[in-house]
Amino acid sequence: MFKRFAAPLLGAAVIAASLATAAVAQDKPTMGVVVKIGGIPWFNAMEVGIKEQGDAMGMDAFMVGPTSADPALQVRAIEDLIAKGVDVIGVVPNDANAIEPVLEKARAAGIKVVTHESPAQKNVDWNFEMASSKGFGEAHAKMLAEAMGGKGSYAVYVGSLTVPLHNEWADYAIAYLKDNYPDMKLIGDRYGVAESVDDSRKTALDLIAANPDLTGFLAFGSQGPIGIGRALEETRKVGEIAVYGPFSPGQGRQLVKEGAISGGFMWNPMEAGRVFVRVGDMLVKGEAITDGTTIEGLGEVHPDGTNIIVDALIPINKDTVDGLADLGL
Amino acid sequence: MRRLLTSTEGRLTIVLVIVCAILALASDQFLTLANFSNLLAASAVNLIFAVGLVVVLIAGGIDISFAVAASVVQYLTVFALQAVGGGNWAFGFFFAGIIGIGLGAINAALIYYFRIISIVVTIATFNAFFGLLMFFTGGKYIYDLPDWWTHRIVFFEVKTPSGWAELTLPGAVMIVAALATWVLINRTTTGRQLYAYGDNPEGARREGISVGAMTFIAFCWMGMMAGIAGLMQVNFVKEVVPNALLGRELDVLAAVVLGGARLGGGRGSVLGCVLGVLLVAIIQNGLNLLGVSPYAFKMVVGAFILFAISTSNISFRNLLGGAAGGRRA
Repeated sequence: MFKRFAAPLLGAAVIAASLATAAVAQDKPTMGVVVKIGGIPWFNAMEVGIKEQGDAMGMDAFMVGPTSADPALQVRAIEDLIAKGVDVIGVVPNDANAIEPVLEKARAAGIKVVTHESPAQKNVDWNFEMASSKGFGEAHAKMLAEAMGGKGSYAVYVGSLTVPLHNEWADYAIAYLKDNYPDMKLIGDRYGVAESVDDSRKTALDLIAANPDLTGFLAFGSQGPIGIGRALEETRKVGEIAVYGPFSPGQGRQLVKEGAISGGFMWNPMEAGRVFVRVGDMLVKGEAITDGTTIEGLGEVHPDGTNIIVDALIPINKDTVDGLADLGL
Repeated sequence: MRRLLTSTEGRLTIVLVIVCAILALASDQFLTLANFSNLLAASAVNLIFAVGLVVVLIAGGIDISFAVAASVVQYLTVFALQAVGGGNWAFGFFFAGIIGIGLGAINAALIYYFRIISIVVTIATFNAFFGLLMFFTGGKYIYDLPDWWTHRIVFFEVKTPSGWAELTLPGAVMIVAALATWVLINRTTTGRQLYAYGDNPEGARREGISVGAMTFIAFCWMGMMAGIAGLMQVNFVKEVVPNALLGRELDVLAAVVLGGARLGGGRGSVLGCVLGVLLVAIIQNGLNLLGVSPYAFKMVVGAFILFAISTSNISFRNLLGGAAGGRRA
């Protein structure tokens, strides 16, 4: 009986031992970046940036994308990375609070932590933003106000009522319009539908039917402008209603050209992926980031606490959409 | 009158009429042809799913996997159409139907040959289908679809003061799917056998009804409807997204059960499906039209479902007075 099992067991032990030495021999620093959800164009582009920059800097950098935008899945993915013993963990959090304890655990294990799109994050070494909430929200609000001529009703979408960043953008955009364009009226509160094309479309159809003076939409959430654009096609309102918001250029290309989506701003997720690796690399090497440090992709930075915030906005419109879409975005 | 009050469908109709009356008084947009066509379009995909699911419920089974199966059908149909060089609607319906039936047959085979209860099988296939889909597609979105598939087909349109009213392809397909299911379960021997089998499997088996045939018919019908619903969803949103339908199974299941289908089998009707899906859609539509804060949406929808379900425990006969109530033996 023992003999029957001994040989394969011994074999397994040898393989395990050789794997272990292989892992030790590899002294390249490793970095795992956990994003909100895998497989969507935005994070596919980020993954390309992470991989390319990792190769360029001699770092073993990779992305982990959960199958749904669930904070619990992110916590599990981060725990896996801690167990794996990576040098740096990057996160684009779904819920800043939910991952706080596990990030604390990671830092206790000597792992450096970098986050993106989470300005209120605790237990991080650095959080970087390629757009300030104020700059991003107001840039969209300004465009919308110009398109609407400073009057009429508008509605605001966010990805979900609990996505902190989308709601911050919406807060700044609404506050800006209230202060500068008193004749513009906000309909309802904000609608938490912009992570689904179906829901964005249905809500837009209802709102257009209920509000004849509705002439503008602000949609913070990548599927929002797409769904609204489809609804405008269906109601034959293309050109009569302005739609602004960040979206994926490849997905919205046709709608932008038809005028069903007016435009929006974005930052480059591929560049964000590269910045993840650059900041991770600086942390591993122990390089300090101080006021006036220049980081490629962010420019000269002025850190505030653990936050590095710049406004690296790219406009998406009829002229730029093809070029951006060709980048695979 | 008595039948109206004692059947689930009758009670649901009353609730629906009350809700509609309130909404018609509160919003002058509600009772318009344009809004009706909007509601029809918004419910089309869910109702096609629902009439498939009700057949499974009647036969005493349950299916959790159908929404994800529809996503699998979308991807496989894209590849099949590429293989035949673009295709047309006939090819589209053929591939979507056949692939859907195939996925349904996988469920049925596991249930019948391995004698596993349907909820366990379909939770497993739900995960397996979605996992395989994410693995093989890498979660890539597909925007580059044949023109005929994404082109809007309008059978009937009319411009009204409150917007365009129209009947598009998904709406028409929804009507055909509902009628076909009605014929299957009400006008054929197979339909009567499905009810008998769902109500009392052992009794039905002794009467000579084939258990295997019932299982395969129910799940393949569900699969075919899931495939067609997937085809129609693409016509609406003009893109194929792996997780677009994830989570839809619970909405549809709730609507079908609300419409009187029994989880234990033997009961359910097409009319009930229509009423259940419409009630949920109308509440959502009404909340948007009334400008209710989106923060309250889920709460109101949940309250209405509870209200509609609990009316089945209120004795209308007692409410109508002693004459009817007194006859009770």
